[in-house]
Amino acid sequence: MASAPGARLAELIAGVRRLALVGLAKNTGKTETLATILAEHAAAGISVGVTSIGRDGEERDVIDARIAKPRVYLSEGSLVASAGELVSASGLAHERLEQTGVRTPLGEVVIVRLGEPGAIEVAGPSAAGDVLAVSEAMLALGAEQVLIDGAIDRRAASSPAVADALVVATGAVLARELDEVVAATAQAIDVIRLPLFEPARDRSDGSVVAVGRELVLRGEPAQVAALLRTHPQASTLRIEGALGEGFLEGLLAARRERAGRELEIVVADPTRAFLSRRGPRWYAKAGISLAVLDTIDLKAITVNPRRADVARLRFSRAARADLRGGRRRRAGD
Amino acid sequence: MSEWREADLSRVKPYADRLDDGVMQLSFTLPVPYGKAARRAAMQLASKMGLEHPEVVHFQALTDGYTYFVMFGECVHTVDFTALSEDGFEVEYMTEAQIEAYARERVGRPIVVVGAATGTDTHSVGIDAMLNLKGFHGHHGLEGYKAFRTYNLGSQVPNSVLVARAIDLGADAILVSQTVTQQNLHIANLTELVEIVEAEGQRKNVILTCGGPRVSDELAKELGYDAGFSKGTYPHHVASFIVRELAARIEQNGERSRERDGRAEDVSRVPGANG
Repeated sequence: MASAPGARLAELIAGVRRLALVGLAKNTGKTETLATILAEHAAAGISVGVTSIGRDGEERDVIDARIAKPRVYLSEGSLVASAGELVSASGLAHERLEQTGVRTPLGEVVIVRLGEPGAIEVAGPSAAGDVLAVSEAMLALGAEQVLIDGAIDRRAASSPAVADALVVATGAVLARELDEVVAATAQAIDVIRLPLFEPARDRSDGSVVAVGRELVLRGEPAQVAALLRTHPQASTLRIEGALGEGFLEGLLAARRERAGRELEIVVADPTRAFLSRRGPRWYAKAGISLAVLDTIDLKAITVNPRRADVARLRFSRAARADLRGGRRRRAGD
Repeated sequence: MSEWREADLSRVKPYADRLDDGVMQLSFTLPVPYGKAARRAAMQLASKMGLEHPEVVHFQALTDGYTYFVMFGECVHTVDFTALSEDGFEVEYMTEAQIEAYARERVGRPIVVVGAATGTDTHSVGIDAMLNLKGFHGHHGLEGYKAFRTYNLGSQVPNSVLVARAIDLGADAILVSQTVTQQNLHIANLTELVEIVEAEGQRKNVILTCGGPRVSDELAKELGYDAGFSKGTYPHHVASFIVRELAARIEQNGERSRERDGRAEDVSRVPGANG
């Protein structure tokens, strides 16, 4: 599948300095996407830095050993952030540029420049803060673009604090039926493309209330109701950390306290919203809209139409439209 | 007299009577009644497994409809041992006394560990064995160490509640146990915890470890944990890892500031790899 004619993917992500690849589930084709980008960049002579928040280029899937994984082939001169032992095991000539001090279960992460092309296993830092640091380091060392590969369904490294843009991988593995795959993908994309919060000019009227971490994480209905009672003017709830479904359920349950009030929940960025059961559209219909303070540029969605036990999925025109439609575009797009 | 020769470590195969004969022994049970057909079934299975010259050296009825086999067969495959390393985060396990001394010297305050079986998992046996005083196999859990202050939240704890408690308690380490692995439920549940900790800006402030029958270093890396513990883990293994990792972090970044006022730290301000 690598390097389809037309090299569209590389065009879509041209000029991005730190690109995050996020899968909506395991085996949605993140590594295949990465391999395609790498092949296109190699052909165009673009120098890359590569890291992975999980593990890439291993031969067998860590959860399902029946699945052979795509290898990660890098061209000479590529920068890689990976566990030192994995770099050695690749047998490729390389120059060790930095010892990062980041420890992972597979060893300490080093940054190397490859002295020859070849396949290598990539396992860089997992924590978002460390990913940012090694990405910056590889840019400083001369990479034109840093590719941050995801793991399973983890999104933290796609925070705008870490990456400049995003490619999402989805696929047949998400559900049994095509409709469900599309619905689950659309819901995840809705979260990624949550609109930017537009603050009203006058915020002294008590309409914006910051909600404490404990209250949000626990989502106790009685406490959520009490919050609304103590802030009858509140129309915007500002949440610093993770927004889970428990808190939203609490808001839904507090019917009397809401009394028809439209509420807007504002989180720092899309990686802070944890919506697995219902998407933003559903909550909007229930009078609760979601917004973010900072957002990330979604550049492309790749689709893996295969899963081990199901025939190839075909995306109809309607399905494609559903993935695109119904959302406000980011200002400046 | 046979000639002595050394094993070729780039092409290693099983050894029984002589080097590289490839002979291996396997034992298993088939859900079929004892008899000649059962024996043939075992032979066929061994052939399908790629074993050459398979032979059933022992078989017996286990109970009605079940037969137990011991077989020999020759493995034709080899592995390149020279290409394998003991990669992974080498932890030299310390004894309880060594852990106590190390913690006193390098950390110098109680180490707060919060544990739970998360999500829908009702099995608390793993987390109990690691944390509770009773421990298991004569190794008592972290609760029995002076170095640790432990909080076992039990089973079926939602990830968000575990994170809220951990932050409130100023946890140095979170220990999660996932016993149920049907449909890979544990995977989504384990990644969600990591993601919530990240979303709260706490990832660099807390050591994340997971344990369960199907957890490995490789899986832990994929999931975003600092370490993964599987079968055969004793409390002092977990304790060794936590004290060493915490000491290394304190050495790198200094003692973290414990903020408990509910304000999350922005990810961009988390100290980086070399910070």
